Amino acid sequence: MIRGKYSAIRSAEADDAAVLKTFYDPSRPRSCLLDMRRELLLPSLDELREVLGQKEQGKPIFYAVENLTGEVRGFCSMRGQSLESTYGEFVVVLDDADLDTPLAVEVFQFLANQAFVRMRFNKILTHCLDSEQEYRAYLLRHGFKSDGVQRDVTFMLGRWHNLEAFSLFAADAVIEDLE
Amino acid sequence: MALKSKTYIRRAEREDLDKIVEWMEEPDFLRFLYGDPTRSPRQIREHIVSMLGRSSAQTVPGSLYLLIDSEEWGPVGLLSLQNISWRNRSCSADLYIGKKEFRNHMVAAVSFYRAVDYCFNELNLHRITAYIYAFNEPSWRIMEKSGAKRELTFRDHVARDGQLYDVYGYGLLRSDYEAFCQKHPHLIAGLMSSMVDAQRVASAETAS
Repeated sequence: MIRGKYSAIRSAEADDAAVLKTFYDPSRPRSCLLDMRRELLLPSLDELREVLGQKEQGKPIFYAVENLTGEVRGFCSMRGQSLESTYGEFVVVLDDADLDTPLAVEVFQFLANQAFVRMRFNKILTHCLDSEQEYRAYLLRHGFKSDGVQRDVTFMLGRWHNLEAFSLFAADAVIEDLE
Repeated sequence: MALKSKTYIRRAEREDLDKIVEWMEEPDFLRFLYGDPTRSPRQIREHIVSMLGRSSAQTVPGSLYLLIDSEEWGPVGLLSLQNISWRNRSCSADLYIGKKEFRNHMVAAVSFYRAVDYCFNELNLHRITAYIYAFNEPSWRIMEKSGAKRELTFRDHVARDGQLYDVYGYGLLRSDYEAFCQKHPHLIAGLMSSMVDAQRVASAETAS
């Protein structure tokens, strides 16, 4: 477990499935929970337990983010890593209200450390639906730059949504050690 | 001038396996499309067998592999429509022209337009996505001529020959394609149905 001033970040376990399931909310779609076809997944609790129990090359699929009272506030991950091209996908699953807090800053620092210091990636990527304005602001605060907007990528809540891609290069990242 | 050519697209069959394996082992295939040079010929063959084995009768396939064929030259290239989403009415498209002499030829453009026509007018899709390496200029030029918009530029995104290159993400919406067709009706007039089996058409004509 990595302890910051405002958070504790640890490997997510099967027991965290119930909290993770609350983020798969069709009324508040999240880009990071879409599949390859940009379709919204609606996994069952059992499926999430199974996913959280898995490890990818010895690493957890998700890290759980706890606040100082031990409550799980969300999840994060560095997934889809391309070792040849040295980039990974930055995934943060937090409530909108948490994205502008010191806890969210620590989540960014944790993942930036993973990507740029431990894995020596050249850049990290992430996506943002046009309805995720708080997440977009969070990315911009941490130096992500837009790579462009894909139009009408997914149909949800009765309308088409655009998907914006962002990247952050190692040279542009401000990285602080959490511990 | 109408975009007529002697090519047509059809479902890939098991008999096409050797030809497709031959293309997939080419350095150009690895460079321009799925560049994993560590895959053995056996792994490539197994991958292709699995993709050809997908049932055409399946109502909602997740991917389609089509062969660009011609009576005159035989199989010319491979077209894959992947990540087909029936909810989002979208797919991603990859086109590989195996015969090098046709790569900068009208055949590549016509094949792509046939695929686009098939996606919008047969599969009723709303959007086609294509990711193309920046150094593959002939391919992204074809995309742009079809009305597709360059929506993304991923900088330093793919490694080839020890260097990092940009990748462009293109999106072609049905509305983009309709605008293109309105603007160039004379080009589209020759396309007809995309899934024409020329042999069958020829047989029918002979019979009649």
